[in-house]
Amino acid sequence: MSAQPRPSTLTAAETAEPRAGDIALPLWIIVLLFLLLYWGVVYFDQYSGGFSPEVYMPCRSTAELAMYQPPAGAPEFAGGKTVYENVCGLCHGTDGMGKPGQAPPFVNSEWALGNPNRMIRIPLAGLTGPIQVAGQQYNLAMPAMGAALPDDDLAAVLTYIRQSWGNKASAITPEQVKAVRAEIGNRTQPWTAEQLNAIQ
Amino acid sequence: MNYGPLIFLAAFFALAGSWSGFVLTPQLQIGRLQQTNTIGNPTAAYPVARPGLAQQGLDVYRANGCAYCHSQQVGQTGTVLEIALTDAGTNHPPIIAALLKLAAAPADGPTVLTALPQLEAARTNGGSAMLLDGLPKAFLRSSSREGANAAIKALYAAGAKAQLWIVPVGPDLARGWGSRRTVAEDFLFDAPVMPGSQRVGPDLANMGTRQPNVNLHLLHLYAPQLQMKGSTMPPYRFLFERRKIGLEPSPEALVLPAEVAPPAGYEVVPKPPARALAAYLASLRADAPLFNAPLTVPASATPATSTNAATTAASAK
Repeated sequence: MSAQPRPSTLTAAETAEPRAGDIALPLWIIVLLFLLLYWGVVYFDQYSGGFSPEVYMPCRSTAELAMYQPPAGAPEFAGGKTVYENVCGLCHGTDGMGKPGQAPPFVNSEWALGNPNRMIRIPLAGLTGPIQVAGQQYNLAMPAMGAALPDDDLAAVLTYIRQSWGNKASAITPEQVKAVRAEIGNRTQPWTAEQLNAIQ
Repeated sequence: MNYGPLIFLAAFFALAGSWSGFVLTPQLQIGRLQQTNTIGNPTAAYPVARPGLAQQGLDVYRANGCAYCHSQQVGQTGTVLEIALTDAGTNHPPIIAALLKLAAAPADGPTVLTALPQLEAARTNGGSAMLLDGLPKAFLRSSSREGANAAIKALYAAGAKAQLWIVPVGPDLARGWGSRRTVAEDFLFDAPVMPGSQRVGPDLANMGTRQPNVNLHLLHLYAPQLQMKGSTMPPYRFLFERRKIGLEPSPEALVLPAEVAPPAGYEVVPKPPARALAAYLASLRADAPLFNAPLTVPASATPATSTNAATTAASAK
């Protein structure tokens, strides 16, 4: 064995100082990075509440936050009792006993507790002429007090009448009111007792 | 090293990006936060400054490292809309029928009505006699505001008075640590803010609602294991002074049970920092309904069930 060094197998290119050159980045990585960036921004936007300082998790947008605000002031739906006291109570009394000679009572009234189809028609167009209520004779000129009420408010007030002060009749649904409204069309002529009695 | 400027720019933009994300943007968003109003009726200014002693207590809280084991931020994973009856009148059968009908109604578009346990039990077992006892009470959960309003109308039509309750939910709230999540307003008058990050001990954001009694806070600082068996909290006895009883016992001396009581003729009196810290703990509450953290507080709502043994210890004493 001689002490002669072995000839180097390195090429000239390998012995040179390393230099940073252009890296050929595959096109698909660039596309993927941009897709990831796009997804990231969409995700960030979706979960940042539109960058509103008001919106905290778990809400994701001002609209969602608004959905959880408690109802302010008066309830969005008046309810039977409120409507009754505003619309009907002035004549028929908050106790449902009516006014002698002017407005018949609802308590034990065969009209209030009877056929819903007849009862719904009365506030929608009014009632005129002689009528027998709870054994008393009245001569009425009731205007169409309920014509302007929405279906659900009218249904609620009629239900309130049928189920208050000891009355125990079935509830009236907004669908029933809607059906009757459709049946009578835009009638403004008040009903008479005979006309109502003809309705089943 | 022939890319010095490039490396400098890369480092600059990396640091500038995180600085603007973590410092600049939050500062722009809530840097000018001001006192606001609670929602609901009546409204009140929120937050209000802590009383003087409690304000000093924040420094004691900070100096003793309370924030290393206690957080002051409550999380929330969602908000649910619950339909509660407040008044059922006297004619119950139509109301119960309406409730059962709502509970059995199929999902209508985005609206899903879910019966809460009691109503669900009444629906499956048929035992609905006691259903309307103990009002106000929530019966249904709605997945949309419109569905909730429709259900309330249906209950109104049946003769009941119904209300929409907005109820935050989440594991922290289930533990009784609060009634809603904490938001930036809760910390408006705290400098520095001590939100904490570790939960070796319970969250303290609503400590004042769970334990409003300052004396029990002092007792807990002196001997934590008294009120909470197995607590790993160290006793903070250096905040108290053990001294010989003079002419007559101090009115401020702690009333201690035998196992931690000082020998006869001695008493344990809280030093000013202990009193400040206890006042601070009793002043901690973040439960006001805010626009950005809405909830309804039912008139007769019972306070959140407490996991803190202090209240049970207080009632047991």
